[in-house]
Amino acid sequence: MKKILALILALVMLFALAACGQQPAAQEPTEAPAEQPAEQPAEQPAEEEPTPDTITVMVPPVSGTYQDDIETWIADFTKLYPHLTVEVIKTSWDDHNGKLSTMANAGEAPDIAEVSYAAIGTYVELGVAVDIAQYMDPERLADYDQNALDYMSIENTVYGLPLYITIQALGANKEMLEAAGADVAKIQSEGWTYEEFLEVIKNGTTDDCFGFVFANAGVTASDFLNIFGVGAGLNNAFTDDLKYAYTSDNMLKLLEAVEDMTKSGYMPNYGVEAGQRMVMCQQGKAMIFGKAMPLFENNINKNNAALEANDGTAVENSIPVQYAFLPVPTMDGAEASCFGSVDGLIALRNNKTTDEHLKNVCLFMDYICSGERIAAVDQTLLLEPVCQTGRDAYISPEGLDEGNVASAARCIGLVVAPPAGVTAEQSAAAKTIMDEVIVPKFQALLAGEATAQEVYDALSTAAVEAFGADGCVSGTL
Amino acid sequence: MSKARGRTLADRRFRFTSEDRWGYFFIFVAMAVFVMFTLYPVVSAVRTSFLKYKPFGSEFIGLKNYTDTFKSPLFYKAVWNTVLYTVVVVPLSLLIAFSIAIMILPFRKKTQSVFKSIYYLPGIASGVALSVVWLWLYDSSPDGLFNQVLMFFGIPAQNWLSSSKTSMLSLMLMAILSGQGSNIIIYIAALLGIDNSYFEAAELDGATFFQKVRYIVFPLVKPTTLFLLVTGIIGSFQVFQNAFMMTGGGPDNSTTMIGLLIYKNAFEYSKFGLACAQAILLAIVIALISLVQFRLMGADVEY
Repeated sequence: MKKILALILALVMLFALAACGQQPAAQEPTEAPAEQPAEQPAEQPAEEEPTPDTITVMVPPVSGTYQDDIETWIADFTKLYPHLTVEVIKTSWDDHNGKLSTMANAGEAPDIAEVSYAAIGTYVELGVAVDIAQYMDPERLADYDQNALDYMSIENTVYGLPLYITIQALGANKEMLEAAGADVAKIQSEGWTYEEFLEVIKNGTTDDCFGFVFANAGVTASDFLNIFGVGAGLNNAFTDDLKYAYTSDNMLKLLEAVEDMTKSGYMPNYGVEAGQRMVMCQQGKAMIFGKAMPLFENNINKNNAALEANDGTAVENSIPVQYAFLPVPTMDGAEASCFGSVDGLIALRNNKTTDEHLKNVCLFMDYICSGERIAAVDQTLLLEPVCQTGRDAYISPEGLDEGNVASAARCIGLVVAPPAGVTAEQSAAAKTIMDEVIVPKFQALLAGEATAQEVYDALSTAAVEAFGADGCVSGTL
Repeated sequence: MSKARGRTLADRRFRFTSEDRWGYFFIFVAMAVFVMFTLYPVVSAVRTSFLKYKPFGSEFIGLKNYTDTFKSPLFYKAVWNTVLYTVVVVPLSLLIAFSIAIMILPFRKKTQSVFKSIYYLPGIASGVALSVVWLWLYDSSPDGLFNQVLMFFGIPAQNWLSSSKTSMLSLMLMAILSGQGSNIIIYIAALLGIDNSYFEAAELDGATFFQKVRYIVFPLVKPTTLFLLVTGIIGSFQVFQNAFMMTGGGPDNSTTMIGLLIYKNAFEYSKFGLACAQAILLAIVIALISLVQFRLMGADVEY
């Protein structure tokens, strides 16, 4: 009996091993890649009888309906290109980057994946990112704004297509701002100085309300630096001559400002989770909050409607709020700017990739990044499309606050793209310094356990070690 | 004569009988699983630790990953954090588990089962769900639950997870209070195995409760304590989830443990070679500590 049992177990094991070791069938080169015609490339099917091919795409919920919408777009796309099949791997924002990294490192990356521009360097360094210009019609590539494409490029090589430029700045309770003496319309149209900002948050701070709150718990601390940094002239980690910018006096000035704000009591000196900041504003416990995006007007208006309907879905203890989208204040000597980030889709190499397959991959990637598809996404997110076909299909959302729309438009115009020519190594080193030195030290600064000078010294030491003294900026930018 | 006898012994020793074949056949499944899911990953990790890993074409870089590790101040900080966490959490956990097991023991079997189930309950809950609950408890604002309790007693609100003064303490507290279920069950099983005659004899001699614990219970549950100590230290050195979910290693890397550092190097920076080198070093350290423990504590343990 034992022998029979062992025999059965051994057979099961053998089958399991065989199943584990099974390799996907090698991709046969396609006879004729589906190339896009020049005029309306994303809408025209290929003329020849091409070989069937399967494309995998991995996306998080880019917008509330994105993961449902992509199924519809795939159905439309496969009607145009019946030989192509598209499989979607749907992820949550929480596990997207980890899952993508694991798959890429195993040589089994999806053909297309959503990434923030800052993560592209990692995949280039890993050798899995694809130079898409080799596989796309140049006219189709020209549909995308150069500014947005720059974000998706490293050393002048384009690795993906942009979905949108997000702008991240500040949001506020408009009535409280005005009560604190702020000229909201002027701030939205012309910007404001750090001194003016300080005066307003001082006036807005009471026993029950902070003048300013910024999510700072855990890794969100890096948002504070990125978003407020542009107001100190720190638009990117590297200058146009590719020197590391965070060693400049501008960074010290920024850190000193944060230290002052924390000590003054105008902002909390305890950890604020990302989800808490807007809730604090909605509950009247904070006047200005960050990070904020134009999109938040929708969330706040929905909460106002829920309060009015008294249906129990409103944020607990919340009050009606009129949302104001504000630029970050500008520090002495710096030009007005806004932190922008580009999210997009990149093409990735895996163990079945061939040149013909990559042409099909780029074809689908272009299809969902352009035209009415991207217009629908950007409409939901209250963002302007970054390609011409998207703009042509875009219908501006109605019912938004005019001041907020104008403020968002002004901020988008102030976004400075990263300098061309930053290498993958530089990009990876900058990310390591940010994660291992700046963010941890900045967390200590916010907790009152380190001074601005100590944080600056620590980051300068790490930067000089990584880039050399000549590779770092000294003095003011 | 002696040559012939030697050859006969050798023949007998290496003769592959039908019984042997069945023996190997029986262990084949277990060996295959071990080779595939334990041995191969270990060998692969050792190999990768000498590479600058890339999915399509890794580059051999010798000992660079190891030298980079030894040059990294963050590695030493992570080692220190892990040792500190282990030194506090493991002995306290054993002490608490032992005390609770002793307190549960006098109850009837059904009552024991109720208590065992209650204490084991966190063990079946998702670690992520537990972390979310603890994040809520550790809310640093004055409205946070723990802060409300402190303020009730006139103690100022604490910046639990965002201050390097309290972040490690917060993780230790979480581990000590929520992870004792299996230790308690193992200790109760060991305590139930002690023959009652020892206690009866001690009572006749007029021994107090603490004398019975000191001279009867401690020595007889020593193998269990050794087992829990060794597995506890191994688990503690590999701690990852709490730091990952609760603090991300911050603030100022005050809760960055080796496990978290390895994870970040592998999955956030895609430095698999470096991560493997650090994992190998961690394995060596754990093996050495376990060896020392067995030598020091296992000498007078009877299994």
